[in-house]
Amino acid sequence: MFKKVKTTAVASLVATIMTLGLMSYANVGIVSNAIASDGFESSWAAADEQRKMAAKLGFEWRDTKKLLKKAKAANESGENEKAMKLVAKAHEQSNDAIAQQERESSAWQSRVPK
Amino acid sequence: MIFLKIRLTEGPNESEIMKKLIVVITATITAFSWISLHAGPDSDQAAFEKYFTSKFPDTPVSDFINGVYSIDKPSREQWEEIEEFPPYELAIDSGKAAWNKPFANSKTYADCFENEGAVRGNYPYWDADRKEVVTLELAINECRVANGEEPLKYNKGKMADISAYMSYQSRGQKINVVIPDDPDAMAAYERGKEFYYSKRGQLNFSCFDCHGSGSGNLVRADKLSPALGHTSHFPVYRSKWGGMGTLHRRFGGCNKQVRAAAFKPQSQIYRELELFLTYMSNGLDFNGPGARK
Repeated sequence: MFKKVKTTAVASLVATIMTLGLMSYANVGIVSNAIASDGFESSWAAADEQRKMAAKLGFEWRDTKKLLKKAKAANESGENEKAMKLVAKAHEQSNDAIAQQERESSAWQSRVPK
Repeated sequence: MIFLKIRLTEGPNESEIMKKLIVVITATITAFSWISLHAGPDSDQAAFEKYFTSKFPDTPVSDFINGVYSIDKPSREQWEEIEEFPPYELAIDSGKAAWNKPFANSKTYADCFENEGAVRGNYPYWDADRKEVVTLELAINECRVANGEEPLKYNKGKMADISAYMSYQSRGQKINVVIPDDPDAMAAYERGKEFYYSKRGQLNFSCFDCHGSGSGNLVRADKLSPALGHTSHFPVYRSKWGGMGTLHRRFGGCNKQVRAAAFKPQSQIYRELELFLTYMSNGLDFNGPGARK
């Protein structure tokens, strides 16, 4: 009788620990997804801001907007790593486009036939 | 400089003269530097034409209106055969029908454009009141809107048809773009010029890289056409498109090919680019519509 009660208590304790463990794991997952999502949103916004700057200068590259669109789709389907890579690529393209404009603001004159 | 210093020590009168001389020399150098950096449209055009006539000495200057066919004999033979039954003929017919069809208010295009539509030679031009470049396609849509009609899309379709008819009516007119002595007009011309020579896009190409320094080179199996005369023959039927397209459709296509974001047809910058590029062909004939690969 005592043994049976003891066994039941141990089983209950194990079950509780496992449940708590699973809940804790699930919480960590939710929190880490939230952090990743927040990181994605801010990175995406920064990359889009840079793209708009390149567009304002008249030097936006053809595929930058598409990259950002793909990144958003990847993030929504849970492919966070892929999404972040696409955002980084888009950001880099816009940086290069802005640098191109800076370079070309004087370099174009060297090509004019004299 | 040493000479000037020595001379400056020789006496008050001579010193004054030398000071004035220095001012004159400095002003002259500055003026020459400014002129070389801001060469006017006339000298730009002369240098542009000379560039291509030197690069392709076997091509008579008047033949540059035929684009790549002015420098590529085998392609020219095929093109001349195509011209016997030109693929743009249907567009001319369709444009003619549109020209003659009254708007809902019973007016027609003829109420907006004189000379039965043979006005290609008047475009593009700088409108001093509006302070912007007006192209033929822009004027076509403005005519429609003024008469209560919907504007047409600029790249192809009905717009290309009506433009093709008017270009056909205008064949043989001289390209004679005028840049008035107006700072705003000059600024528009300069923006078009800067756009033309600026590298852009992921491939880092300027318009001139392909159609100036690169003209005559092969891209896959095709030669790159020279820029001189480029705007003479639009709109064109392109085999690649399988239909007609306007000059601004081509501008957008070129931008996309170098992986740059294209601008909207009839955007300010494309109209200014058209102003510059058409000015570069001043003195040549309009011969649109054309047929290209």
